[in-house]
Amino acid sequence: MLDKLNFIFIYTLVREEDMSLLDALHNRPYRVKGIDGPDDERRRLLDLGITPGEELAVVQSVPFGDPLVVMVRGMRLALRRREAAWIRLQ
Amino acid sequence: MSSVEAGLPDSNIEADALHLPVETPSQLMTVCLAGAPNAGKTALMNALTGGSFHTANYPGVTVTLSRGKSKAEFGPQVLLVDLPGVHSTSASSPEEELSCQVIEGRHRSVQPDALIVAVDATQLERHLRFASLVARQDKPTVIALTMMDLLPRTQQTVNVRKLEEAIGLRVVPVDGRTGWGSAELMSAVKIALAGPVTGLSALAKLPEEPVSAYKSIRELLAGSEALKNRNVFVLAEDSFTARVDRVVLHRFLGFPIFFAILVGLFSSIFWAARPFMDLIDWLFSRAGHLLLALLPESALSHFLAEGVVGGVGAVAVFFPQIVILFFLMTLLEDSGYLARGAALVDRPLSYLGLHGRSFVPMLSGFACAIPAVLAARTIPSRRERLLTIWILPLMSCSARLPVYALLLGALLPGAAWKAGLVLGMIYVLSLLTGALVAGLISRFILRKRSASMLAMEMPVYRKPLLKPTFRMTWSRSSGYLRRAGMPIVVISACLWLLSNFGLGSHQPVSAERSRSPLVTRSDLDHSFAAQLGQTMEPALHPMGVDWRVGVGLISAFAAREVFVSTMAIVFHVGEDQDSQQAGLLENMHTATFAGTNQRIFTTSTILGLIVFFFFSLQCLSTVAVVKSETNSWRMAGLQLLFYTGIGYLMSSALVVGLRMAGVN
Repeated sequence: MLDKLNFIFIYTLVREEDMSLLDALHNRPYRVKGIDGPDDERRRLLDLGITPGEELAVVQSVPFGDPLVVMVRGMRLALRRREAAWIRLQ
Repeated sequence: MSSVEAGLPDSNIEADALHLPVETPSQLMTVCLAGAPNAGKTALMNALTGGSFHTANYPGVTVTLSRGKSKAEFGPQVLLVDLPGVHSTSASSPEEELSCQVIEGRHRSVQPDALIVAVDATQLERHLRFASLVARQDKPTVIALTMMDLLPRTQQTVNVRKLEEAIGLRVVPVDGRTGWGSAELMSAVKIALAGPVTGLSALAKLPEEPVSAYKSIRELLAGSEALKNRNVFVLAEDSFTARVDRVVLHRFLGFPIFFAILVGLFSSIFWAARPFMDLIDWLFSRAGHLLLALLPESALSHFLAEGVVGGVGAVAVFFPQIVILFFLMTLLEDSGYLARGAALVDRPLSYLGLHGRSFVPMLSGFACAIPAVLAARTIPSRRERLLTIWILPLMSCSARLPVYALLLGALLPGAAWKAGLVLGMIYVLSLLTGALVAGLISRFILRKRSASMLAMEMPVYRKPLLKPTFRMTWSRSSGYLRRAGMPIVVISACLWLLSNFGLGSHQPVSAERSRSPLVTRSDLDHSFAAQLGQTMEPALHPMGVDWRVGVGLISAFAAREVFVSTMAIVFHVGEDQDSQQAGLLENMHTATFAGTNQRIFTTSTILGLIVFFFFSLQCLSTVAVVKSETNSWRMAGLQLLFYTGIGYLMSSALVVGLRMAGVN
């Protein structure tokens, strides 16, 4: 029981360090840490220039909060929340 | 929105369907135009060929292989092929796959001798990364640097010479919208074609893998000082685009603005087009009368005047609406708003199994299903594309409007505002029904959904240029005329023949003629159409109407509005009646089943007819377009049966139900 709680505690700590694009404040530059998601989608995001180490910012959200408009490499890109959740930030 | 039927009738550009092999005149060199979506490729194509083309400011606009010869003023001609925009070589949509095939030399009929890569100067890194994939093919490659006019807005400067040195390829700045730089581009292409193979350029030597490729590009650009002041966040908060976005994508204002734009669009389609439609209607009826007066009285002259001229008129009368729709859509598209609209509705639409990009086809569907089906080409996933096409016939297209106007006039005589209210409800209901059908199908039939991606670029707002917008409007509208026009004209000509000729043996016995020929001119009551209508009369019983309405329903398959003119014929509205509409309403009001005094048009049957027109796919041109777009007769046929079947069942159920409830 204690082990399990301990695990959850550590897990939450780790999770908190690992923020995704969904947690990003608007109009603040963040650095990309990595990209999760299925292979094809991951590859597509990388191809679009969302590569580890690159700066990006959430510049706009659309009513319902989905999709988000992200500024990356001089491009405004509309990303669904599902896609944004794959982008891990530092 | 796609480059729907790009090309003027007199231009030398033609769009080929995806699955058709493209024949290349062997004597000409083939130069392919490649680039990421929104790189300004289509405008460049326009400038190089001198033909009318789309200047896209909406992601993924060029989805067919369009080709054209270079303008003669650029020296010896080459064949230019505009490839669909590609983000990467890991292609996701069939259109992207096609581009990759051509670029990599795997396409069986398009083999590029040289390539032009359109590169957006404001997004150098991203576009150069794509250009490196193209350069890798070791074909003569020239970079066309577009969007130079937007550089000051992003506070960047690009040194073209230094960029050339850094990447090892010829770079020519161009502006496709004005044609500036296209002569230089063409001469650079010719030098590249004639010149010796120089081996791989620095650009081509970049790694294929995206992370290290982007890293190398940044080093390349920084080392050579080709790009200055690369500060993307300058644009993020203070730019014009950001300020507009904050309003049009605002949490509370976003949707009201969106709906206001849609309402504006629709009201101009209906109200601004009205005088032009009346004018065209009048012109064609005058032309018909004139033909009848000039030609000697014969079956042929009637055929020409009523069947052919009338048929052309039936198409032409909707032309003003189509032109206005395309004009406004092109404006919205080139300004950059259409991509925002797609982003706004992406979430509600994806809930229904559709995609944000389904919004443009659905919008067009309220004017006409044919351009709408063509516009569905831009939807990346096949499943979402088919589902969008599937629900398009439900959108209340403008051909239904005259039918509803007639039926509502008969249902609610003398109460224009009530009729208007019901008409408004019909429009909203058609959208809701489309949503319901899409939702049901995606939940129960097409359940296996490969998750699609949005990842859609929101282009910067730009002031649309008037001339390209007009050219594009014309090319799209004339494309519609060619596509929809012929079937409607042919079908209405056939219907005219069917309703004006009959078996000789069925004609009333005339005194002067002892022996009747096999087929003869006939009035409508004894024509082939009447026989057909009478044969199907049992099927019309549940709907509570007689064979004359049946003839109207069949004739509506040419185009729904033909129902109105057929009704005028079957209920014998005379030429002398001062107003056709009023005369028709009067005759409909008094019409009874043959041999009885039971009225045909009662509350229940009129409501039944409205429901029938609401659902059924009475438009053979749409069926033909769906077939050619999906490359599947099964899809087109199923759709026809599904909607017409539902229309028949719903209409019959309503009439029977109302009668049981005591409403006659």
